[in-house]
Amino acid sequence: MKRMIIIMMLFLPYFHISAQLPDADEIMDRGRELTLMGSLNANVNLLITEKNGATRNRTIAMTTKSYPGGLEKRLIRFLEPADVRGTSMLVIDNKDKPDEMWIYLPALKKTRRIVSSEKGKSFMSSEFSNADMSTPALSDFSNKHTANSGSADYWIIESIPVNDNVADEYGFSKKVSHIKKENYLVTKMEYYNFDDELFKTIEVRSYYPLSNGKYTIEDMAAINHSNGRKSEIQFTNLKENVEIDDSFFTIANLER
Amino acid sequence: MRNYIPSSMESRIKTDEIENEFGVQDIIMLLFTDSTILTEENLRQIKNIDRGISKLSSISRRISPFTTSSIKSSEGMMIVDPLIKTIPSEGDTAGINELYNDILNNPFARNIVFSSDMTSASITATINNTESESVVLAKVDSVVAANTGNARIMKGGLPYIRLHIMKDVKRDAIVLVPLALIVMLLVLKLTLGEWRSVFMPFSVVLLSTGICMGLIPLIGWKLSIITLLVPILLIAVGNNYGIYLVTKFHDICRKGKYIPKREIINEIIRSLKKPLIYSGLTTIAGILGLLTHSIIPARQMGVLAAAGVLAALIMSILLIPGFIYIRSKRTEGLKAPFLGNDVFKKILNPLAELIIRYPGHIIIYSVIFTIVLSSGMSLLKIETNQENYFPKNNPVRQASDIINRKFGGSQTISVMIAGDIKDPVIMRRIDELTRETEHTDGVGQVFSISQAVREMSKAVFLPEEESYDQIPSTRESIAQLFELYNMSGNYDDFSQMLNLENTRAHVLIKLSDPSNVVIKNVNNKIQTITKDIPAEVTTGGYAMIMADFARSIIKGQIFSLGFALITVFILLSLIFKSFRGGLTGSIPLAVSILILFGFMGFTGIALDAATALLSSIMIGVGVDFTIQYIWSFSNNIRNGLTYEESTRTSLRTIGRSIIINALTVMTGFSVLVLSGFSSIRFFGYLVLISIGSCLAGAIILIPAIIMKFRPGFVKADMNTLKKQ
Repeated sequence: MKRMIIIMMLFLPYFHISAQLPDADEIMDRGRELTLMGSLNANVNLLITEKNGATRNRTIAMTTKSYPGGLEKRLIRFLEPADVRGTSMLVIDNKDKPDEMWIYLPALKKTRRIVSSEKGKSFMSSEFSNADMSTPALSDFSNKHTANSGSADYWIIESIPVNDNVADEYGFSKKVSHIKKENYLVTKMEYYNFDDELFKTIEVRSYYPLSNGKYTIEDMAAINHSNGRKSEIQFTNLKENVEIDDSFFTIANLER
Repeated sequence: MRNYIPSSMESRIKTDEIENEFGVQDIIMLLFTDSTILTEENLRQIKNIDRGISKLSSISRRISPFTTSSIKSSEGMMIVDPLIKTIPSEGDTAGINELYNDILNNPFARNIVFSSDMTSASITATINNTESESVVLAKVDSVVAANTGNARIMKGGLPYIRLHIMKDVKRDAIVLVPLALIVMLLVLKLTLGEWRSVFMPFSVVLLSTGICMGLIPLIGWKLSIITLLVPILLIAVGNNYGIYLVTKFHDICRKGKYIPKREIINEIIRSLKKPLIYSGLTTIAGILGLLTHSIIPARQMGVLAAAGVLAALIMSILLIPGFIYIRSKRTEGLKAPFLGNDVFKKILNPLAELIIRYPGHIIIYSVIFTIVLSSGMSLLKIETNQENYFPKNNPVRQASDIINRKFGGSQTISVMIAGDIKDPVIMRRIDELTRETEHTDGVGQVFSISQAVREMSKAVFLPEEESYDQIPSTRESIAQLFELYNMSGNYDDFSQMLNLENTRAHVLIKLSDPSNVVIKNVNNKIQTITKDIPAEVTTGGYAMIMADFARSIIKGQIFSLGFALITVFILLSLIFKSFRGGLTGSIPLAVSILILFGFMGFTGIALDAATALLSSIMIGVGVDFTIQYIWSFSNNIRNGLTYEESTRTSLRTIGRSIIINALTVMTGFSVLVLSGFSSIRFFGYLVLISIGSCLAGAIILIPAIIMKFRPGFVKADMNTLKKQ
């Protein structure tokens, strides 16, 4: 009996902490719900800065629409620089099969479909992946609190892909999200490679409050720790819940 | 090797400029070889090592079978996939065949990550500066060691070459220096007889070598393949002055009568002080010729060796008489050494008679011999390829051979083009440069942005379309293809060819034969093609540094030779107080230089970082012999001997010392033939030739010239000495 009490006392702190923390899945789901939108129209400025200070700037107009079941469609038109103006991309972000991507090159008057098996591939050769640009399905990850979660103003939750295929698809083995307790918004995400080393950090610098009480990311930066590159994305001219017809996400429209 | 070259050298400045933009091109290569590399076990081994290396923070970029993408055009689609999506299992012949075809059809895989004959695969990795190179290589080695398999693994690339050079230099220093000392001890024992006499010059060798080696860390220099020669040189040369003093001491002792030690010392110093100081100064002058060399370690060697010789000279003059004074043994009745007077008499007496009887013939035969042998100079080659420092069976050399034969080569020429890269005029010129250099002999592979543009055009257009595999005609089209490549290809590949702002492009030319002829040829092509390109062109890369290095070896050779010859000539003219004396004294040196280069030309031994030092060292060491002979001859004439008698006496006395000296120098340097570096081995062999010819010049040619022409400076010298 005495031994039993000692064992219980040893484990008590853990029971105590986990009893106080809300369910990790629940927190992730609330955060996800807060930023999940039907459709969005915005101009996006993407600035990539090399380790040596060299920069590359792209301005695009992006229209996205989310469908039930995790399907997301995105149409991107390049606005700047002038020599790629009009270049357009249509991305169909499928839930259970590889993404489909079409690109239209106005100077060559050609549209090509690009099929890539790598979902973790970079978004417009930035440090953001295509997956970072969409809202991941909750069922793809198992979530749990880290040891110091909840100790300050943040929940710190570790998300691990449910299986190797999902991990390969997203291109990381673990993600640690820092979520503000007061509003359930993610402020920082740390990505770990398959050798469990931190390789990328995304910081969400500001959110844009939407009319329905939800939020959308307005300004974020990704730092690649292995090559020292930094990519920053800023959303301007945000238009929420715009009515976008499905015909907008077609090849015919891409070439318009 | 880059550190051998002054940072002000053009190719180094340009290479630094290119590397600032596109990163250091120093790469390591792991080579996997097997009778067929496409087996499940081999591919798993490669994958495990690739994963292991990717974990190392000091490795910034990898190109491996598992990082390479495959971009295919099929049914209107552009398909981007990893080259190896899944490793085909053993027995999956269809899977293996599909992979085989994928590799052959992928310009980013064939001869880059797999050799065309499918017997080798490679992982190429770029090292960043977060850790020291030796630490990174040790980590890579441990990853390799932890993943054994069927495939044989070899390691190549310049960091590994550097590592092996460092290891071999250390090994050489540990093995060769003690060995040279032992050999020297034996030679001194054979020629000087008793151990006490051996100890005298040997102690000078030890002290001067110690002083000289101590200077290296004090000044803050490092032991390099070249400075490694310094202790050997001092072991070989440092005892010279001591030998003259000790043999003179023996000569006096063997006269058979008792002479007080003080008088013996006075006699030795009186007769040898001047020729020794002059010999020492001329040796130092010859060696200081290395200061005009453009190779940094050659200059360092010049300073160190000159300091060592000076120390040896001072210590010989001060210490050896001291040793003679304190030795307890009676001075008369010394036992003859193994190579005693009798042995020398048997050689030198007939030689003296020959010279006296046929001086003209000797001169004519010497001239003919020199002319014939020096004709080989036209065949003299220059070698700057570090890979050839290693013997053919060395693992580094074997890895380099495979890289050169199957993976395009590890040495590169980089061309940076600064301008509006999206301008079709510039892009077409880059394309022309790429295609022209690709088909040049000795070029293994060329990488450039124009290839990426062509690949993209192949993905966008169908083979029957005009624009398929072409450079587009508008700036916008090129910009949009860049964008397409950027989005579908491997960003790291792209960043090696084009900077982020698209204002600088990089054409990387890998050489399968990094010889100076190929480098020169490729460079000429680059200059011709880019002559009127509306952009700024910078040509650099390791191979270009090597070409500059080759040029600097020749320049260094000419300057140091010129400097040493002129200085020695001036010194000899001052010593003999005669222009003709200076000229006569320089003849054996000039002849030896011609013979040395001619011999190198005929035997195919190339002029390289090590062998280029020979001529200065040879002048420094060889001049001793001539000075000693002429001085002794003049002394004998002064003492009233005839020309014939002087020749006989000089050869018998100083001739013996000269031969002993030449033998010690040759045997001292001969340990170099056991070096781990081919180039140092050749140096060892060539010392035998060059010192041998200096010896022949001093005891055959010079006596013959003096006999035949009876130059006035010999007598003038005698008069001057009489006045003193």
